[in-house]
Amino acid sequence: MAVAELKSENLTTFKQEKPIVVIARRFLKHKLAVAGLVVIVFFVLAAIFAPWIAPYGVYKQNLAPVYSNPSGQHILGTDELGRDIFSRLLYAARLSLFITVVVNLASEVTGTLVGAFSGYFGGRVDAAIQRVVEFMLTLPQLPLLLFFSAILRGMTVPGLPPEWSQALIISFVLIVFGWMGSTRLVRGMVLSLREQDFAQAARALGCSKLSIILRHMIPNALAPVIVNLTLGLGYVIVLEAALSFLGFGIQPPVPTWGNMLQNVQQRMWEQPWLAFYPGLCIFLTSLAFNYMGDGLRDALDPRLKM
Amino acid sequence: MVNYLIRRLIQMILVVIISSMAIYFLLYLSPGGPLSGLGGQAGDRRARVTAQDIERISQYLGLHRGPVWGYIAWLTGEDWMDIIPQSMWPKSHLTGQPVSLQLTACIENDDNCGHGVLRGDFGVSWQVARGSPVGAVLLSRLRNTLILMTGATVLSLLIAIPIGIYSAVHQYSRLDYVFTTFSFMGTAMPVFWFGLMVIMVFGGNQSPVYKLLHMPYMPTGNVTLVRAPLPGSLELLLGVQPGTWADILIHAILPTLVLSMLYMAGWSRFMRTSMLEVLRQDYVRAARAKGLRERVVIYKHALRNALIPLITIVVFQIPGIFGGATITETVFNWPGMGFLYVAAIGRTDYPVAMAFLFVTAVLVVIASLLGDMLYTVVDPRIRFN
Repeated sequence: MAVAELKSENLTTFKQEKPIVVIARRFLKHKLAVAGLVVIVFFVLAAIFAPWIAPYGVYKQNLAPVYSNPSGQHILGTDELGRDIFSRLLYAARLSLFITVVVNLASEVTGTLVGAFSGYFGGRVDAAIQRVVEFMLTLPQLPLLLFFSAILRGMTVPGLPPEWSQALIISFVLIVFGWMGSTRLVRGMVLSLREQDFAQAARALGCSKLSIILRHMIPNALAPVIVNLTLGLGYVIVLEAALSFLGFGIQPPVPTWGNMLQNVQQRMWEQPWLAFYPGLCIFLTSLAFNYMGDGLRDALDPRLKM
Repeated sequence: MVNYLIRRLIQMILVVIISSMAIYFLLYLSPGGPLSGLGGQAGDRRARVTAQDIERISQYLGLHRGPVWGYIAWLTGEDWMDIIPQSMWPKSHLTGQPVSLQLTACIENDDNCGHGVLRGDFGVSWQVARGSPVGAVLLSRLRNTLILMTGATVLSLLIAIPIGIYSAVHQYSRLDYVFTTFSFMGTAMPVFWFGLMVIMVFGGNQSPVYKLLHMPYMPTGNVTLVRAPLPGSLELLLGVQPGTWADILIHAILPTLVLSMLYMAGWSRFMRTSMLEVLRQDYVRAARAKGLRERVVIYKHALRNALIPLITIVVFQIPGIFGGATITETVFNWPGMGFLYVAAIGRTDYPVAMAFLFVTAVLVVIASLLGDMLYTVVDPRIRFN
């Protein structure tokens, strides 16, 4: 019986690629993720170049047609003050995208770090952090925001136009009250992960606690955080509108997708499709971010072989 | 374990007390309130409300006590407060005289004194149901909210978990894409809009379902019918009498569907990703290599480990089941807790709002404990000590 001979030239060594190249290649294989990226880039470009693309000004009112249907002059029709909906959608993309991306990224990053530390250290650290989280979760949103709006109203960030400084202040408040969800998610994952064999191996090898948390716990606990992030992206756009309704947040006439959606409520029965345009923008954004998140998760997954 | 639970219980009580204190101060300090709007008129000669009136109202409601004494009275009751020396009483703004910490009604008759939350007395409603005990007001809404929320929660769990598992096992299949897009429509659609669309399509005898398709139409709102069902309605078709349980269930269908859509969307996503994560682990491959059937691999080996994120999310549905769904209840005119809470905040009925928020806070800490206990059930490696 011939014994199979193992020759060294039969073994091809893998070319060492930089991790970023591998991740990018994996990401590009995910067609819908790429489509999502394209949509996001498209929205961002539309937001940046709004002044050049928009056929009308944001605040430009036409006296005659209020709530007009789509026509050659106004491709998406006009709103309650006769302003061009298409132009306002373009401008609204700026603040809406900015707020939702900043708020979600910041609160997920904070939540992930806090949750990972809480879960990994356990004991008193965990108890203290979790009691704070519970405390924050019991605070009622509506009175809290009313309270903050009273304190922060009229406050501005120097050197910024009023709507952008409002956007920053709102983002800050939403981050302060938005990090608990991902904290709970990551902590739950880490509680289970820290008892697994690979974590024990890392400890046995003498990894520092910080590096175990950052390199072993967080990457393995990231999947639900990405879902939470993508779900939150659509939610914050709408939440911002609820805030401006309370007199806190971006005030009319500055458009955001959220407050455009809110304004439609009065005309819901007569022209329900008015909700369609801002709704579609929010839907497309969150769908695109979601597919991108999916692709990113797959691309970052060390267990997945390509 | 018993030790841990005892320690945890003490921490829970502390959290609830601190958060109820914070909420009380928050309500007290936030702009608006029962006296706002009266003050502006007091300076006006023609106004009927004088400064004396305002002071009388504030003493009647107990606002003159300030947040600190107010909170103590809310928590422990006011019947014992006559032992507090006069030097610690709040001073009247007009006369400078000390005013009793007990409310007018309590001084007149001991039976009217509040006993405080610790003794199960949430006080008396100011606005929403003026004069009635808050506990009774909450209980009157509880049934409706429980029907709606448990229905929606159970339905969404029953649908979301299988959908999530299917999408994970058949990742990137056509159905997976359908479910994904569907669930994102669920989260991106604002509830007020979706609710109204559902009413427009299915509700009432002007709806296309009835007029064009000649199918029985659904009720557009409320919990029960107020009169005999009209021709064409689902109630008449099924021979349902107004006010019966069948009537309530028929009214619950549309709001339950709208809410379920919302929950399902998020939960199925969490299920899908955590399942995907688990399915690629070595022990799942080992289970398959042993020759176990795919069904067993998925439901016995993989699912259990994929449940942790879902547990984290779903336990916090418990305060939600009590608290109701604000927007859905408003759209469907469903007199539940969420509806009551919004009315209480809007009309500054703080005793009602406080009671609602207090019960919610208690349920939040219980949910958190329950979540931790469930972690140890699905993953016995997790220990709290």
